[in-house]
Amino acid sequence: MKKLLLLIFSATVLTTSIFAQETTITGKISDASGDLPGVSIQIKGTTTGAISDANGEYTVKANQNDVIVFSFVGYATQEITVGTQTVINITMAEDATQLSEVVVIGYGSTTIKDATGAVVAVSSEDFNGGVISSPEQLIQGKSAGVQITSTSGSPGDGVQLRIRGTSSIRSNNNPLYVVDGVPLSGGTQPASSDVGYGTSGDTNPLNFINPNDIESISILKDASATAIYGSRGANGVVIITTKSGKGSGSLEFSSSVSVASPANKYELLEGQAFLDGVAQYGGDPVAQNYGSNTDWQDYITRTSVSNKQNLAYSKGFKTGSIRASLGYEDQQGVMKNSYMKRFTTRLNGNKSFLDNKLNLNLQATYSNVKREDPPISGNAGFQGDILGAAYSANPTWSTDPDFDTGGQRSPANMLTYFQSQGATNRILTNLSADYKITDGLVAKATYGLDKATGEGVTLITGDAINAGNGVQGFGQGQLNENRSFNNLVELTLNYTKEMGSIDLEIVGGYSFQSFRNQWHWAGARGFSSNEFGAMEDEIRSSYDAGVAAADAIYDNYNNWGISNDLRNGTQTTGGFVSGINTSEGTLNQAYFARPTGVDVEAIAANYYDQTDYLQSYFARGNFTISDKYIITATLRVDGSSKFGSENTYGVFPSGAVAWKLSEEDFMPDFFSTMKLRAGYGIVGNQDGLGYGEFIRRERWADVGVGSSREIGVPGTTTQGSVNPGLKWEETSQLAAGIDFGILNEKIYGSLDFYNKQTTDLLLRRDAAQPAVANQIYDNLDAIVENKGWELSLTYEAVETEDISFSIGGNVAKNNNLVKDFAGELNAGQIYGQGLSGAYAQRLAGGYPLFTYHLREFEGFDANGQPIGDNQTYLNKSALPTWNTGASLNVRYKSIDFAAYMTGQFGHYIYNNTQNGFFTAGSINNARNVTPDVLTSGESGAAEAAVSTRFLESGNFFRMQTMSIGYNVSLNSSSMIKSLRFNLTAQNLFVITKYSGLDPEVSSNPANYQLLNSLPTAGIDYTAYPRPRTFTLGLNASF
Amino acid sequence: MHHSNLINYKKKKMVNKNKYINRLWIPAFMLWFLVSSCSLQIDETDSLITEGASDIFNGVADPAASLTNIYNNISGQAGDQSNLYAMTEVTTDELLVPTRGTDWGDNGVWRTLHAHTWGSTHSQVLSVWNNKNSAVLRATEVIDPLSNASVAQVAEAKFARAYNMWVIMDFYGQVPFRNPTDGPEIIPSVMTRAEAYDLIVSDLEDAIADLPVSDAASADKTRPVKATARFWLAKVKLNAAVYLGAYGANDLSDVISLVDAIEAEGYALTSGNYFDIFVGPAYTNTDVIWSVNAGMANRAWNSLHYNQAHTDNGGGGWNGFTTLAEFYDKFEGPTADNSLGAGQEERRGYTQTLASTDAANQGFGFGFQLGQMYGWDGTSAIPLETRTGDPLVFTKELPGLIGNNEVTGMRLLKYSPANGAWTSGVVMARFADAFLMRAEAKMRSGDTGGALADVNILRGLRANTTALASLSEADMLDERARELYTEGWRRNDMIRFGTFSSAWQFKESGDNHTDLFPIPSNALLSNPGLIQNPGY
Repeated sequence: MKKLLLLIFSATVLTTSIFAQETTITGKISDASGDLPGVSIQIKGTTTGAISDANGEYTVKANQNDVIVFSFVGYATQEITVGTQTVINITMAEDATQLSEVVVIGYGSTTIKDATGAVVAVSSEDFNGGVISSPEQLIQGKSAGVQITSTSGSPGDGVQLRIRGTSSIRSNNNPLYVVDGVPLSGGTQPASSDVGYGTSGDTNPLNFINPNDIESISILKDASATAIYGSRGANGVVIITTKSGKGSGSLEFSSSVSVASPANKYELLEGQAFLDGVAQYGGDPVAQNYGSNTDWQDYITRTSVSNKQNLAYSKGFKTGSIRASLGYEDQQGVMKNSYMKRFTTRLNGNKSFLDNKLNLNLQATYSNVKREDPPISGNAGFQGDILGAAYSANPTWSTDPDFDTGGQRSPANMLTYFQSQGATNRILTNLSADYKITDGLVAKATYGLDKATGEGVTLITGDAINAGNGVQGFGQGQLNENRSFNNLVELTLNYTKEMGSIDLEIVGGYSFQSFRNQWHWAGARGFSSNEFGAMEDEIRSSYDAGVAAADAIYDNYNNWGISNDLRNGTQTTGGFVSGINTSEGTLNQAYFARPTGVDVEAIAANYYDQTDYLQSYFARGNFTISDKYIITATLRVDGSSKFGSENTYGVFPSGAVAWKLSEEDFMPDFFSTMKLRAGYGIVGNQDGLGYGEFIRRERWADVGVGSSREIGVPGTTTQGSVNPGLKWEETSQLAAGIDFGILNEKIYGSLDFYNKQTTDLLLRRDAAQPAVANQIYDNLDAIVENKGWELSLTYEAVETEDISFSIGGNVAKNNNLVKDFAGELNAGQIYGQGLSGAYAQRLAGGYPLFTYHLREFEGFDANGQPIGDNQTYLNKSALPTWNTGASLNVRYKSIDFAAYMTGQFGHYIYNNTQNGFFTAGSINNARNVTPDVLTSGESGAAEAAVSTRFLESGNFFRMQTMSIGYNVSLNSSSMIKSLRFNLTAQNLFVITKYSGLDPEVSSNPANYQLLNSLPTAGIDYTAYPRPRTFTLGLNASF
Repeated sequence: MHHSNLINYKKKKMVNKNKYINRLWIPAFMLWFLVSSCSLQIDETDSLITEGASDIFNGVADPAASLTNIYNNISGQAGDQSNLYAMTEVTTDELLVPTRGTDWGDNGVWRTLHAHTWGSTHSQVLSVWNNKNSAVLRATEVIDPLSNASVAQVAEAKFARAYNMWVIMDFYGQVPFRNPTDGPEIIPSVMTRAEAYDLIVSDLEDAIADLPVSDAASADKTRPVKATARFWLAKVKLNAAVYLGAYGANDLSDVISLVDAIEAEGYALTSGNYFDIFVGPAYTNTDVIWSVNAGMANRAWNSLHYNQAHTDNGGGGWNGFTTLAEFYDKFEGPTADNSLGAGQEERRGYTQTLASTDAANQGFGFGFQLGQMYGWDGTSAIPLETRTGDPLVFTKELPGLIGNNEVTGMRLLKYSPANGAWTSGVVMARFADAFLMRAEAKMRSGDTGGALADVNILRGLRANTTALASLSEADMLDERARELYTEGWRRNDMIRFGTFSSAWQFKESGDNHTDLFPIPSNALLSNPGLIQNPGY
């Protein structure tokens, strides 16, 4: 690698051009706000050029016949013929039209006017405002065919992003995220640990990015655009580009403070009404009356205050630019004991050398994200997580955390004696050098590093009542550490050439990426203290002592445990370590005496260390003929260590054509832009597939501490499965679209049609027994089809210095269907009392994904028992068929107003919260319910089986953000260049008929908890309440 | 002219440059190729990759560790109240899991087991199929010569394979089989019940030859010895008529001689308190032949009420499993009172009274739990209440499989929290069972007198029982029920005695298709050699 770079660089020494007969041209370049440094000045058709300096001034040598091209990102390019001039001053105009804005695509950039694929970009000025946990929220509702669903209202929680429907049948339908050219993989903050209150899925992988540092987000939707990412492009690609330095040096400061409260809560029975309800079902209201009257939902929630501070310095130089930023954000959740605190710093810089032939680029960020999570899970059992406990809690209970409820979980107890905190440190760096070898030929080398360390400690003290077997009196804790270390090396060559009426652009490259993931986790029981601080010290010191003891025996171990009750071993007390020796191919196990420093009664730890590799070759050619016809062909070859010997390498081709009708003479000038495009491509998906799933491996079985603080000494177990034919999942997409602009782009938009067919669906399935692993990863013989269309339209009605008015909207229709699948797989597990093994959805041919399979509820019989006990397919799915977004932007002088709305339609939500908690059986057992239960006619002895009784339409339309801003007019001598105040409201209202708290919901158990490994959608089970947030912000630049 | 000269000159220059660049690309592409030949092999950082000629199976890395995992798996199944245990007990007249309002509905999984209305998508039918079949393969891998296991390890593996395969043969009637060296493209062959029977018998005979000599008073009975294998061979042969249609010439005499051999190694009926047999973790009593390290907790807490708490289990029970009045009535004693000292036979157990509840037993009794329950509040005995404040009085009768409240149905405790909330150790095989198997073999061979004498020897050791005057098949089945309830034999016994398809409480009589469980639908999809059992 290094040698190659040296060779490329040394070649430059000999490549200087010689010119003659020139005059010196000077000038000053400015824009509306003043001097403009960094503008590229180039003699057309040559490599000769210059860059404007800090004062906007430049000097260049040219002939009288030469044409000078002035260009700068974000401004309209100007061409001036030199003639007799020696001083050429230029005022650059911002390129206002959306269709001409530069859109970053994979390994290059284009504009909407010139793109052959379905690509959209949202730039920072159009981002959603307010409290933003994660970058996807910036563009929610902004792009047709992109469904962005927050899984809950928790700070920094997961976001589901689906581009043109859901095409995979397992988890991981998220697109590939590429940040400044580095493709990311997976999340790094450990999912909260199960200490008896259930589990929840991984947190958002993108929340390490400061939204304030983002310049634009591009979304590549069709195969012709994503094929350059080959085996990872099937679910679309989201490219995040961070801001780079520009201008003559400015300091930007922004600060905001937000106030949030739960937008909605359940109406539950209060004190006396609850006791009356108990009596109605034959219970003893006197025995159930503990004298208080608490609204437990209010008890566990709060009005939270969050704040955010950002400071950035940005400057463009003659030969480069720099931008440095610092950000700190403290997001407090509307549930007690929940927050996300994010510290980020970023340095982006570039510098050119050798007459702009050599460019060095750096994008580096460091972030530290701290989180605290309350005990909330997507799969809490019959006693519920803290939300379930609050819904079912007797309102007359005492709020004393030590109050004994006699069997149920008290929210006060859970809130007081549970703590889950974590922190993630992440560094993402991208260093690249590009060298212009000749006119039009640029070589580029990139090194990317993504390093993250996430740690989490979950504790439940011995004071917790009804927390789970063996917790009370002993305490339980879990220590998790995830480390990921990804390296990217990339070499590309970019060649552009004008050949008569043909513009040619070819990019080719090689990329090698390694993904190393290490997971360490330890579980402990039997703490000597009931204080969180002391418990954390105890689990950490016990863990360290255990590691030291285990390390002394084997360098490379899978797990170890220490307990006074070791089972199945030759030794019944002390510690054991299970090691592997890869050089000898042996598995070893040894015992040791209990080390000093292990203060917990029992602790067990497991280790995983896995590295995957991806090696790729890619090329893309773009041919523009007479500026009318554009042809793009893309090919990527990906080799992945995740696949078996028969399919290590995959080939992903695509082709697309576009016809710029508006360039044709027969088109009236009325159409300022009119382009038809069509493309076809094949892309893959390997997300969610782990390390070495295709090959048979052996290691020691995982260990854990049992409820009486015993540890079973493990034997060996088989990992993965023999499946040399395992391969990526493949999506072929046929897409066509029209981009148009009317009346000089006053009205512009796009209309798209697509048909996606996904085959070789990756899924864990039951193996043909006897099998080394009960479940194996396999390519399922079935097709998932997504067909649909998208329309986006913007009308910029008025645009003057004093007034502007624009409205925009997008709508997308998607039809999803599973075809040619012979089996039937239950999915959508339902949780709650008496609901073990219950499910609500089924995967089957002829139905969409997430199709509901339920009993048709026909009311209650005379005995109050539900009628209807036969689960059948319903033609109802959890997938929305319609996604919409709408925006309104108004400005009058220095006041501006913006509103963004988003909606999803055609889908159904399973109200698992109601099923699990709000039935007659609950009040019959003295658990609180909603008032309608008392009049439903349901018997207290009725089973609350899953049925259409709990299925509701999920249609909603949300006022996502509404903001009003005021730009303070400052005189030009002021130290402050600009000053802006804004007030933003998020989630102001939701129009929906859904009876639960919020229809935009998807409970998210950990992956290993999923029924048949199939993900869930549309299931509402004690989701973190969504907040309504008001933010007051200040932006200033100096 | 001047202008065109310039262009010519530039073109010339370009050619030169290109020439240089062409030369540059040769080493550049070579380097490129070097970089690109990076290996895509995964690293062996946390697991060993099976390598060898076949790339599929080259022997297990450590036979001892594989055996640990195999026996851990058996232990894990034994500690679970669902799956294997529920399929052998909830399907019979011993146990049911009534739906109590919103409790224990669980999508009908428990009701269908008791009512014999299960289907091929039943989650426990699939779970046991997957678990036992993969256990068979893991044992076969240790047995395979490529694993270089010792003679003693092979014997332990053969016992484990026989035990696991016996469950599959007994439950499903067909047994798929895979050689460890078979490639992934090979779909497992399917053995008939008779073929599986032969392999099980041969494995057990090999195990008897090579397993260690038994120590009837050993504190650790978690691994098989000669007696364990003999016990299972006797069990398999006693059921030969079920598996093969009729007894072979020597099957019943083999049962008798196998039990004789177990007895000769020192195993014996115990004469002390019946419930003391079931106190782990060290089963030194000579009745227990095989025990596993599983905790008894699920067996006890699955049935006890939420408010039946223990110092070590503040959360109490899960209020599920109950037994039936008809089953209770098989025992001698008062029909409506099972409290301590009510005169009932020993094996029916007793519930604590206010007076007998103390800090040691904390209110937990043994056997059938009927009537008012008591607890220990730290200083004194207290009568317990339901969650809605009514007295916690377990009823003898239930309204049905649904429509129950939290007090309906008696609870059945073989392992009582009176001995500790989380005691480890579950009994898998007892000499008392072998003793009754021998008596049954005698009876089936025509020696009813010898069988009656044996049954009365056993009854003589259990307090408050009277000697039987005669012995019918029904008597023998009932005696096994009284001695061995909730030990996992009821389904097997009822099928052998032909009563599994009869009617009992909340179950109608039916044809005998439920003697076999269905092949799980997922398994049928994965292996076309499997054929669904009749009636499903």
